[in-house]
Amino acid sequence: MRNYIAVVFDDTNKAYEGLHAIWQLDTDGAITVHGTTVVHRNDWGEYQVDSKDTHPALATAVGVGVGALIGALAGPAGAAVGAARGAAIGAASGGAVGAVADLNRADTRDESRYETAWVLGAGQSAVIGDVSEDSTFSIDERMRRLGGTVYRRAWSAVRDDKWFDDRSLYPYDGYLSPYDYYLYPYEYVPPYSPWWAY
Amino acid sequence: MQDTQVKDAIDQVRSATQQLHKAISDAAAKRGGAAKADLQAVPQMAKAAVDSIKGSMATQNETAKKRLSEARTYLEAAGKHAADGVKSSGKEFQTAVRQTIADARAAAQKVSEAVAAKRTAAGATSAK
Repeated sequence: MRNYIAVVFDDTNKAYEGLHAIWQLDTDGAITVHGTTVVHRNDWGEYQVDSKDTHPALATAVGVGVGALIGALAGPAGAAVGAARGAAIGAASGGAVGAVADLNRADTRDESRYETAWVLGAGQSAVIGDVSEDSTFSIDERMRRLGGTVYRRAWSAVRDDKWFDDRSLYPYDGYLSPYDYYLYPYEYVPPYSPWWAY
Repeated sequence: MQDTQVKDAIDQVRSATQQLHKAISDAAAKRGGAAKADLQAVPQMAKAAVDSIKGSMATQNETAKKRLSEARTYLEAAGKHAADGVKSSGKEFQTAVRQTIADARAAAQKVSEAVAAKRTAAGATSAK
């Protein structure tokens, strides 16, 4: 089953450990990773996506809507139970299909931003991933050991969100959603860390 | 033995498409002439990835084959847009770079979907 995941960590270094662990699971064949990125929220509530210094033509698209993405992953159900560290949202049922929170469409940007505010607190970092997994166990267990909180939502449910209809945010018509645009298809660790991460 | 060969082939394709996306992203992060110089290598890289796909298609399941075929289309588009970019400048160049990145990203996406399809099929077989 294909899912979007967000794994929230208190510490930036832990987030990168989490990023590496996710790609290691891919290498082991336990999951298949289609793309990942690391997002930070600073003490003023602003979001930053770790990325390359891009060509000016691309710069404005990088990071657009990342807060909305995290909010879309968590959804209203996440708001109710998201405080449980190490718990996978909706994972109690155990099965791969049942493990994904079947959320109503949260879908408006305002609502997603509101939800994001509690999912990713000031000073926290999150690994965002687009993954195929036959069971949620591998990611949940590995992230739990690292102290991460896993949010998960079916890829198809997120893709159906109205948010994806905003073509003005696409790098060029018809190809990629903003989400795809900043999810690297390989493990990417920037050569620098933001100053506020120290 | 055969499974090992199949895994190697599709993993090689995946690695090639990821490297292509990385190379284009690196090129896009540069300015002016440096970006264009890096872009010149992209059509050849895309062609090599397409050749890898051709070599690995026959041994895949139907879903993986379909994904690889889609990846091939994106790779060919990436090569074309990169070649267009090398010959252009200004806004046209920027557009070509954006299109090349998007094509390479889509190709990498399709190949990883093929890998996922293969792994899922292998898991279902071993579970029986």
